[in-house]
Amino acid sequence: MKTKQDFPSINERPPEGLKEDGTCFRVLVIDDSMFVAKQLGQILTSEGYEVVATAVDGKDGVEKYKELCPNVDLVTMDITMPKMDGITALEQIMAFDKNAKVVMVSALGKEELVKKSLMLGAKSYIVKPLDRKKVLERIAKVLN
Amino acid sequence: MNVVYINPFVATSISILQEVLGGAEVKRGDLGLKPTAVPIMGVAALVGLAGDVEGRVLFDMTIDTALKIASVMNGEDLPEFDDLAKATISELANLITAQVVTKLHELGFHFDLTPPALFVGQKMEVAALDGENVEALIVPLLTEYGKVEINFSIRERV
Repeated sequence: MKTKQDFPSINERPPEGLKEDGTCFRVLVIDDSMFVAKQLGQILTSEGYEVVATAVDGKDGVEKYKELCPNVDLVTMDITMPKMDGITALEQIMAFDKNAKVVMVSALGKEELVKKSLMLGAKSYIVKPLDRKKVLERIAKVLN
Repeated sequence: MNVVYINPFVATSISILQEVLGGAEVKRGDLGLKPTAVPIMGVAALVGLAGDVEGRVLFDMTIDTALKIASVMNGEDLPEFDDLAKATISELANLITAQVVTKLHELGFHFDLTPPALFVGQKMEVAALDGENVEALIVPLLTEYGKVEINFSIRERV
């Protein structure tokens, strides 16, 4: 997806996905759409983040998080998924690891869902269609 | 078909399609009403709705249009209508329907959408044989890649 304004800056700056020690921030992408996983993956890797795994539904996402923990710095979570939705998966991940950093990434923007996710512990809520700049800004902020 | 639903459906469909196509022009054809049995042009993405309203939204287009749109959305020329292309069109259906759900939620209609299902085939028909004739609102959207017909069939739950 093309972004409207996202030009490389004249000044060199380190990719946001790199930590101070030189290793990458590791991201677990949870989305049932192969297209979204690819798109998010491209946005993330272009800025130096590492996508350590992709899960295709909430249940798969929770399992993968439990397996990979503590080697995951951030989770992106879709909401509308088969088998287990993103809100339920968020609840389970937060119950497993209260320090988990989960960012909701959904096409649904209902205020009640945003509030519920944030109250359950999500660090941010991004509404699709994805804007590369906004995604990177929000993620960088969460990982500060 | 409650007239309150129509504008949000149409406006959202146009704006999302325009956005994912990188700002390409999307024109709205004449709206119409059809009985729900609908012949499919080749690719149909279907999203279910449940809650205060129930029904489904169907996105209908030829395989050629689907492939072109999927290519634009992926920023690369997809050679065939493979799993990635199918996932892309499903996501398009999801994006539009989810924003419609959000808008109607703000107007007081509370419902949810299901994950999308994608159908590919020639000479298919989608019929909802649920007794009374539930009408479907047809919104044709005309793009440079071809026509996308959005077919809304919803009714309020009593």
